[in-house]
Amino acid sequence: MAVKISQAERMMNLLALLVDRTKPLTLRQIRQELGKQYPDSDEAARAAFERDKAALREIGIPIQTKTLGGDAAGEVTYSVNRSNYELSDLRLSDDERLALQLAVATVRLGAQHGEEALWKLGGERVLRPTAISVNIGLVDENMSVITDAVMQRRTLNFDYKGEKRQVDPYGMLSRSGFWYIIGFDHLRRDQRVFRVDRIEGKVAASQTRAFKSPVGFDVATAVPTEKQMLAAGDGEQATATVLVDAALAVGVRNEFGDSSVIRERPDGSVEFSIPCANMAAFRLWLFAMVESAEVLGPQVIRAQVVQWLEELTVGN
Amino acid sequence: MVSKLTRKPLKKPGARRGPRSAAQRVTGLLVMLPWIMQRGRVKISTMAKQFNLSEAELVDDLQMAAVCGVPPYTPDALIDVYMDNGMVIAEVPLVFSRPLKLSTAELFAISVMAKTAMQLPGADKQGPLSSALAKLAPLMPSGADSIKVELPRTRYVKELREAAITGERHQIEYFSPASLKRTTRLITARKVFENAGRWYVAADDHLSGEDRVFRVDRIEALLATDTFDEIRELDEEDLPWFSQALPQVTLRVEKSARWIVESYPYVSRVNNRDASVDLTMSLTSEHWLGRLLLRAGTGVKVLKPKAYRDLGKRCAQTVLARYSASDLTS
Repeated sequence: MAVKISQAERMMNLLALLVDRTKPLTLRQIRQELGKQYPDSDEAARAAFERDKAALREIGIPIQTKTLGGDAAGEVTYSVNRSNYELSDLRLSDDERLALQLAVATVRLGAQHGEEALWKLGGERVLRPTAISVNIGLVDENMSVITDAVMQRRTLNFDYKGEKRQVDPYGMLSRSGFWYIIGFDHLRRDQRVFRVDRIEGKVAASQTRAFKSPVGFDVATAVPTEKQMLAAGDGEQATATVLVDAALAVGVRNEFGDSSVIRERPDGSVEFSIPCANMAAFRLWLFAMVESAEVLGPQVIRAQVVQWLEELTVGN
Repeated sequence: MVSKLTRKPLKKPGARRGPRSAAQRVTGLLVMLPWIMQRGRVKISTMAKQFNLSEAELVDDLQMAAVCGVPPYTPDALIDVYMDNGMVIAEVPLVFSRPLKLSTAELFAISVMAKTAMQLPGADKQGPLSSALAKLAPLMPSGADSIKVELPRTRYVKELREAAITGERHQIEYFSPASLKRTTRLITARKVFENAGRWYVAADDHLSGEDRVFRVDRIEALLATDTFDEIRELDEEDLPWFSQALPQVTLRVEKSARWIVESYPYVSRVNNRDASVDLTMSLTSEHWLGRLLLRAGTGVKVLKPKAYRDLGKRCAQTVLARYSASDLTS
């Protein structure tokens, strides 16, 4: 009669056996070696073995199989080669391990993979708070599929803005709290940027490696900055003259640079030349300053701003 | 003081619930066994804390490992790990002496974390973190290089980090957009942190006598005082974010202003049949809400409290008054 044993213990013994034996083993031999750890009936033993095998593979242990010929035709053997799942010695110095520990303690991803990597590298999770920390939100349900596809260069399939997209992800960028995928969009037949949190539903990745990134591809320049977004539009006017009160002028100058300054007024307010081809982005930028900024021209832009404000004064 | 917090609450890494599967227990052991062997002996309590396990869970797992091995399961064929006097002791390595290879998710995490840490102000770009990354490079899949994290470049982050380590008080000139005023205050920095593209500093604010969070990009001047306070480490969970006592506002957000849902923190969200969303948010100041309503335009209206239902209109009138006063056509 089979002994009562947990699946975890049986998996440990199965793995130890397959690693220890130099020759591949059939299920019959495995059952003989493991004694009564598998159920007595062939059917139940096979089912339990398949469960163990699947769970070991899931945690990254490649179990190799081979179908025999000759007298044992049809029988399958199983083996595990340690070098296929064991980490080679990277010869990290204590300082290097410490530096990785500090990096993992400082940068938060919202998942435990960093800590797991550290343990495998012989390091330790730093349990005391650090004086500085960075929080990179990696909480989207699709992130593991996406990061895996980007790392392994596999094509992604997902719904975006109501359309089915097939995208070769050239890279990913985390900026201002959002993750972006930059890749070749087969629907548009062009390079496009997708914000991960705007993907609708589940993401699927192809099983095979499918593409190469263009030569010289740079992920950071592929996603427009807020400043570039203001200029990326089809509005009639490329720039607007905006008067910003002294209190906020320093910030605007820092953001757009000295070259954007048209004139400094005696009261400390400053007239800036600001891109406005993308009027939706321009509105968000301008109204963030509420009454501390005013569009002086061109007249068509000023009129548009006044119209936006008047729309808000109607109703309520 | 602070206009934005993370869209989702920060979780302690490794926080988990429910019983562990067989695969999770085995993975844990395959990670822990080489780790203990490298150290020889470790306190049970230390190890449980390190691996996010209760001491009972750890003892259970190690007791199980101690009876695992290869046939004939004689003492010399079992995994040589045991517990004695509150310590975990591992001696002769058997089959599980080497750690598992890093998964793609782990490689992604360690690479992103290390590369991000290298960007921090004051990081040594030629130091041990850089050489550790170079040693990890052969393990990385080909796409790893095309994943980047961009941190905001903000003045004073390096100085404030130093201040949090030494406890030195600093005098700051701080600009508040709500009042359009600058204040001079003494602060003792406790933690500098980046969230959603902005740097913040959690500090003792000696002006108000409270723990406060300041946006670093609004600090216009910083001066060391040569006065030192006792060092106090702050955990992520202890950050003085918005007080629970803050009033709340509920907004109806139409599809045209959906960016608000993606960009602002909210307490709760209800999706309506007509694709609009009702968001309840913490209200930090009337100025903050007015600005949001102005930016969002007609795509947003305040449902409650009643006092703010016409705030967007009032703000628009204030701005319009400025345009009327400087009518450039006359």
